[in-house]
Amino acid sequence: MAADEEIVRVRNVHKYFTRGSERVDVLQDLSLNVPEGEFLALMGPSGSGKTTLLNLIAGLDVPSEGEIWVGNDRISAMSESQLATWRTRNVGFIFQFYHLLPVLTAYENVELPLLLLPLSSADRKQRVMTALELVELSSRLHHRPGQLSGGQQQRVGIARAIVTDPTLIVADEPTGDLDSRSADEILKLLATLQHELQKTIIMVTHDPKAAERASRTLHLEKGRLVVDTRAPQLK
Amino acid sequence: MFQFFTLMLKNLRRNILRTSLTALCSMLLVLVVTGVWSVLDFIDRQTEEKANDFKVLVTEKNKAPSRLPRAYVSSLREGAARGPDDVKPEDYMTWAFYGGTLDPNKMTRENFLFLIACEPEKAPTMMDELDQLNAADTARLQDAIAKMKKQANAVIIGPEQLKLMNKKVGERFTVNGLIFKDLNLEFEIVDTFPDAAQRYGQTSLMNLDYLLQGIDEYEAKTKKKIANGADPIAFVMLKVKNKEDYEKLSAQIVNSPLYNSPAVRCESAGSAVSTFLESWQTIFWGMRWLLAPAILGTLSLVIAVAISISVRERRKEIAVMKVLGFTPGHVLTMVLGEALLIGLISGLLSAGGTYLLVNKVLGGIPFPIAWFQRFFIPTNALWWGVAIGAGTSVLGSFLPAWNARGVRVADVFSKVA
Repeated sequence: MAADEEIVRVRNVHKYFTRGSERVDVLQDLSLNVPEGEFLALMGPSGSGKTTLLNLIAGLDVPSEGEIWVGNDRISAMSESQLATWRTRNVGFIFQFYHLLPVLTAYENVELPLLLLPLSSADRKQRVMTALELVELSSRLHHRPGQLSGGQQQRVGIARAIVTDPTLIVADEPTGDLDSRSADEILKLLATLQHELQKTIIMVTHDPKAAERASRTLHLEKGRLVVDTRAPQLK
Repeated sequence: MFQFFTLMLKNLRRNILRTSLTALCSMLLVLVVTGVWSVLDFIDRQTEEKANDFKVLVTEKNKAPSRLPRAYVSSLREGAARGPDDVKPEDYMTWAFYGGTLDPNKMTRENFLFLIACEPEKAPTMMDELDQLNAADTARLQDAIAKMKKQANAVIIGPEQLKLMNKKVGERFTVNGLIFKDLNLEFEIVDTFPDAAQRYGQTSLMNLDYLLQGIDEYEAKTKKKIANGADPIAFVMLKVKNKEDYEKLSAQIVNSPLYNSPAVRCESAGSAVSTFLESWQTIFWGMRWLLAPAILGTLSLVIAVAISISVRERRKEIAVMKVLGFTPGHVLTMVLGEALLIGLISGLLSAGGTYLLVNKVLGGIPFPIAWFQRFFIPTNALWWGVAIGAGTSVLGSFLPAWNARGVRVADVFSKVA
């Protein structure tokens, strides 16, 4: 795949933390390309560094060494405020535990990231309605998170992630807190986002069944990429 | 912007009990600070020097309370001016005090009456605030003064004092003299001070001539000198244009050979009040520099604790907002804004409520200092309340807001996972 089609480029990234005098290496000399429109699954045992890698690609953290590019933006060199502004337009984040704001309705939760963009009230409304229709929750607009099931909350979370039409969607164990039926619905929804809206999705998961939905699976161990598996139809 | 504001309101609504308790505590503390500042503000206004319409008090130099002979009065009214270049006062008022009990067998506070003996026609121009009454109240006061000029024993009594005495306008009564012992005088109440002249609620005004005539008649009748009868005047108040005239006039009077025994001194009205309040200065200092700052500190602490708890509970939500693109500045503004909302609303409600309660319902704060019996909440208190609420809430919430600003997303979610 040509470099100009790769939406995410990770180059020789190290990430380490210091605990007292001890240095803990979480990611070691990791390089990775993610082409535009790919659905990538990151797997690996606990502590292998997959969530750290996801956080670095989503601009939630910065590497200790190395470079990360998303599109034409070198996010590894951005300040905290620059990253925040960048995330608004470029990244949609789906959490394992949904993390909806309990004081806001489904509509308001989805609208929240749009408040940071220069949009009129009518534009915001249109985008929120489109996102909620896509996740089939337009009948639950005024429900608060506490009044929704886990699966419904996760769908609101997905609507919130896509409402700004981001370049990249990252999901950290999006089915980890759901029963198998709800998990299946969420995975179908992610696959739809990839196929129909050509979104690039990077998903961390422990679940091999969830990873099967992805077009490529990367396995991490002790902060290094060890296996790169392509889905059968793409091999 | 509006949505951001709505989000702040919703955050405050998430724990209504905590928000209400914080607001109630803020209101209570703002109320106390407003009360304290109202007293200090009033005292400050009484003791401040005015740039124009300077009032000069001529008192006995070496004794307190001051006692001046009657003979001093006529020349003092002219400012002891002798030459054409001497400064002459624009106005004057002579003050003496007469007091006693309405019932010598029952010496209670209700039965005690203290009167200012003066030239009644000088009250509207020489007594503070009486020159600021509206047209109707001025006309009413002028009518009462006209009655006092016509009838020597007429008195004007403040509405609170009248209520305390359980008397009505038109009633007559006798005061059994205590300041001038055995000098008993009969009075008739011709009116009260208008309600707008709140500070005169407990003040009573009588004719100076009636007092002096009473002393003369008593001495002629009993062939005895009444105590303090020879020097019954407390002070003479003179009005000059400005500080320069005040200084010239003071020098003129102090250096005049007319006032040697006893010698006199001149001081501005503000300075005289200040001297009179000397014994209260420690209390005022404590109120200004210990009590008020302690309350403001407590208020900041209350806000700090409430906002800290709220921020700690919402670390995950703050992290989510940061993930969505809210910058550290947005988070700081949101937390400060929440605290500011509590502070502004409770400050405004408290100051407005205090203003209405104290001024309209309670009729002033009963805090007798010197001759000031009650203190009223000034209109300025409305913005003080808002400023106190806003200032302390921003101060108190700054540290928790700064901590919220610094929430690291990766740290929060690594703990969650």
